[in-house]
Amino acid sequence: MGLLHKLISTARRRSSWLLHFDCGSCNGCDIETLACLTPVYDVERFGVVNVGNPKHADILLVTGTVNPRNREVLAVLFEQMPEPKVVVAIGACGLSGGVFREAPNVVGGVDKVIPVDVYVPGCPARPEAIIDGVVLAVEKFRGKSGQKGEGK
Amino acid sequence: MGVMRTAGLVLAALAAAILLGGLLSGIDRRLTARLQSRKGPPVIQPFLDVIKLMAKERIVTNPWQAFSPVATLAAAATALVLFVFQGDLLVILFVHMAGGVFLVLGAMASPSPYSQTGGQRELWQMLSCETLLFLIAGALYLTTGSFRISGVSDLPEPLLYRLPLLFAAFFFALIVKMRKSPFDFAACHHAHQELVRGVYTEYVGPHLGLLEIAHWLDIVLYLAICSLFWATGATAMILLPLAAYVAVIVLDNVSARLTWRWMLGWGWGAGFILSALNLFWLKG
Amino acid sequence: MTVQAGLARLDFLLCIMGSSMSEAILVVLIIVPFLAALACFFIRSTAFRTFVVIATVCVLAISSLLLQESPAGGFGGMSAGIIDPVITCGDFLLLGIMFFLGCRYRHPLIVMLTGGQLALFAWLEFFVFAGGQGPALFQADVLSLTMVRVVCIVGGFICLHAIPYMRAHEEHQKLERSRQPGFFAVLLMFLGAMNGLVLTNHLAHFYFFFELTTLCSFLLIGHDGTDEAVGNALTALWMNAVGGLLLLLAIWGLYAQSSSLDMYGLVVSAGTGRAAMLPLALLILAAFTKSAQLPWQRWLLGAMVAPTPTSALLHSSTMVKAGVYLALRFAPALAGTMLAQGLMLAGGFTFLAAAALAIGQRNAKKVLAYSTISNLGLIFACAGIGTPGAMAAGILLILFHAVSKGLLFLCVGTAEQQVRSRDIEVMRGLCAIMPFTGMIAVLAVLTLILPPFGMLLGKWMVFEAGADNIVFYLMLVLGSACTLLYWVRLAGTLLTGGQTAGFKPEIKPFLTRFPLAALVCAAVILGLCAPALYAWLIAPLTSLFDAITTFPAGQPLSANRAGGLFNAQGAFPLASLFLVAALIGLVAMYAVRKAMAGKKGSPYMSGANSNLPDHFLGPMNRPVRAVVENYYLAPLFGEERWTLWVNLAAAGLLLFILGGGLWA
Repeated sequence: MGLLHKLISTARRRSSWLLHFDCGSCNGCDIETLACLTPVYDVERFGVVNVGNPKHADILLVTGTVNPRNREVLAVLFEQMPEPKVVVAIGACGLSGGVFREAPNVVGGVDKVIPVDVYVPGCPARPEAIIDGVVLAVEKFRGKSGQKGEGK
Repeated sequence: MGVMRTAGLVLAALAAAILLGGLLSGIDRRLTARLQSRKGPPVIQPFLDVIKLMAKERIVTNPWQAFSPVATLAAAATALVLFVFQGDLLVILFVHMAGGVFLVLGAMASPSPYSQTGGQRELWQMLSCETLLFLIAGALYLTTGSFRISGVSDLPEPLLYRLPLLFAAFFFALIVKMRKSPFDFAACHHAHQELVRGVYTEYVGPHLGLLEIAHWLDIVLYLAICSLFWATGATAMILLPLAAYVAVIVLDNVSARLTWRWMLGWGWGAGFILSALNLFWLKG
Repeated sequence: MTVQAGLARLDFLLCIMGSSMSEAILVVLIIVPFLAALACFFIRSTAFRTFVVIATVCVLAISSLLLQESPAGGFGGMSAGIIDPVITCGDFLLLGIMFFLGCRYRHPLIVMLTGGQLALFAWLEFFVFAGGQGPALFQADVLSLTMVRVVCIVGGFICLHAIPYMRAHEEHQKLERSRQPGFFAVLLMFLGAMNGLVLTNHLAHFYFFFELTTLCSFLLIGHDGTDEAVGNALTALWMNAVGGLLLLLAIWGLYAQSSSLDMYGLVVSAGTGRAAMLPLALLILAAFTKSAQLPWQRWLLGAMVAPTPTSALLHSSTMVKAGVYLALRFAPALAGTMLAQGLMLAGGFTFLAAAALAIGQRNAKKVLAYSTISNLGLIFACAGIGTPGAMAAGILLILFHAVSKGLLFLCVGTAEQQVRSRDIEVMRGLCAIMPFTGMIAVLAVLTLILPPFGMLLGKWMVFEAGADNIVFYLMLVLGSACTLLYWVRLAGTLLTGGQTAGFKPEIKPFLTRFPLAALVCAAVILGLCAPALYAWLIAPLTSLFDAITTFPAGQPLSANRAGGLFNAQGAFPLASLFLVAALIGLVAMYAVRKAMAGKKGSPYMSGANSNLPDHFLGPMNRPVRAVVENYYLAPLFGEERWTLWVNLAAAGLLLFILGGGLWA
């Protein structure tokens, strides 16, 4: 059993698929995130693939402040992801709403809607920081046992 | 002990095919990455993917999404085992098609528009590539007098010499089956999204893992059929399929995805006509 | 009417007293349905009618199973003296009725065709056919036995299903005076006519039963009495009347050549010259109209307006099989001729074209109709290939097609009664609202397309037998691919659906559920028994072909120890595949149980799922139904676009067949 656990753990570390969702970002963080997929940064060498489908994803990368319109969508996408899963909030907006946090149409941060595991600060966050965040998320993913309700 | 020996052979063949299929898939991703000036994942990546998927939570919208992957995998495995035992190519193709049927049924079981459309497109893809394989079976019959695969080893010269057009049609079918551009409009392999993930959209976790393994086995079957075209020497039997495989990967990286009209018209239509011409030339 | 019934009863008594068990069973099979039909028609009590139908069905089913295979050559003739005049009178009455119908509905084609048949038949009967000892009356070889069992057992189930179906049908129509007595009377009479058709050895009697089925079809198609129904019934009548006329001409030609109306004798002694081939060509053309092959498919498509038991019984399982029965009966006489080549190609073309046309169809019953036409084309091609193996494949295809297609028609009919539409899109998600019917429909479709079931086995046999002719093989491959597409599309549409919390179980009468369950079990079990069935078929067929023709008999299949069928060309590991299928079923059901115990999922709709199933949140946050339809590609595959061209091509092939007769 220990061997099986180790195998699954290794597999999770080396094969994490992510879903990137933009919750009202100015697209600055999005551009930096997608830059990670380019040949210069190439996250696929870590086994990380950007699947566009929550049902196939392990890691949810969220950029932008959340607004009342897309908070339900974010919740549904998180709900549709099978366990174990981790959430990474990217950029100042994702952490707390950034410079827009006083605005009336802003919920102010991803963790007001879904539980977040990793926070990547920056405005915009640099690709190296995003990769760092994803690597940390992968470690957390690997540690989760797949039971629902495992917190941060 | 005949039963034990057969069972052992079956398990060994399946294990080898899964290993081979996974490695081929890994080579595919590595080669694609290199062609795109990236490093790419290690060659064993597909195995890690599948293990991770098997350890995910099971969520289904409809019971058929749990039924279909088992059936698809079993059909792919059965077809491959029949091939290893040098069976009747027609039966192999019918069993292989049964796997595709269940894949589409599972996709159509979910009300998601992506899954539904992917399922429809998969049906048209199946129409395209499976038809051409049956023509290969017909050519096999015309050259060896039998549909059995074992007949091909008795031929004096490689089938490729007499079936060049049919090989071109087969190449088209291989592109479709491997889900590569330009004919990958039902579902695409990783990171190229087509309607999210098309026919695979609603399959989750372990079910997706089983389908992944089924896909590997399908590719191995196709490459095995490819090897029939040059069955006179062991090296050629390995090199020809590998060359075809690499050619498909290169073509994938230099082309864009085409619509169903292109697939049916220029792909399948041309492939069918070329195959028919080849068959007539063979007979006459 | 009563005089004939009395004579028939006397005949029946004589048979019981005097002759063998087989003749008695034959009389039961043919006469009892007619008596039951009279009872249904004249005694108007619903309970009595239900009893009569159930009793008749049981009697017929048991009798068909008890009937023994007769030695080659036909048997029975003792009652010829009584039966012959009865049937001749029946013929005149029948043609008279049809002529009258043509006049009443002012349909010039029907008037001409039936008038022509009347004149020709009268001339033949009184001036051409010599009196004296006629041919042996009956035959019960493997082909006839298979057909009789299909008619009685599959037909029996369909009649059982019809009892609650017609009750609901009439409730919906809110009729003041029930028309069920007439409906069931014609249905039972039809069973008798079919039994007569497949068991008779006398060509003129065959003609009588052939035309009787035409009349039954007319009456049943027009049952609902709407303008559309009557119009389609008249179309069916004139097209089948063409077949009747062609059949009569063929009979004349055959009699002129060999002075015999003995079907077995005609098959055995048929020559290959023009005098022999031309009547056979006409016979094949008559069979084509009966089986609604291209270009005669219009009447079958129009017949889909009829109530479901009609579609299931006449227009998929039995009546349309009369045409292929005729072709298979005369297949040994055709083997190796140009006529057979034409038959093979015409059958193959119908298989392909009908399958392609079915792709463009949204109407579920029309898809089933095109599929029936397509499969019948395949069986005609088996008759054209001309080897005993091909003929055995054809008989197996008849059996498996009748079971699965009849079942599918019943399911679609039951579904149609509930959802009130024939559109496939309206039937989307049927498995959620009608789990029992929907599941059986999906299973029925799977038995039609998947290995190791019987239809696929039969199709494989045709592939193996027909691969020498490249054009035919190409048509087979394309047709088979098209077939798969529309079937999987239909099955997939039926089983769409998210998990709904707590569905109502489907409550249906026993007589609706029992035939469905029984037929689906039969489809699977018969598939398992296919090697045994093939072995039972191939021996007498091989000796028949050997006795008649020198055309190479090809390689019949033998059974091997592992339960598969094989010959030098290929092998079908049937028992192994069944075992694998059973294992897959078990493992997959376990996977389903495990998955359903977990979290309930929702379909991916870009995260905009609303709490209503199948709906997403659209503009103004209102729920919008996600509507996805199948690709029908009507501009590419639609019947409006292709029917004319396809009919022209088919007509060309028919001329080719006729040419095979004229230039033999």
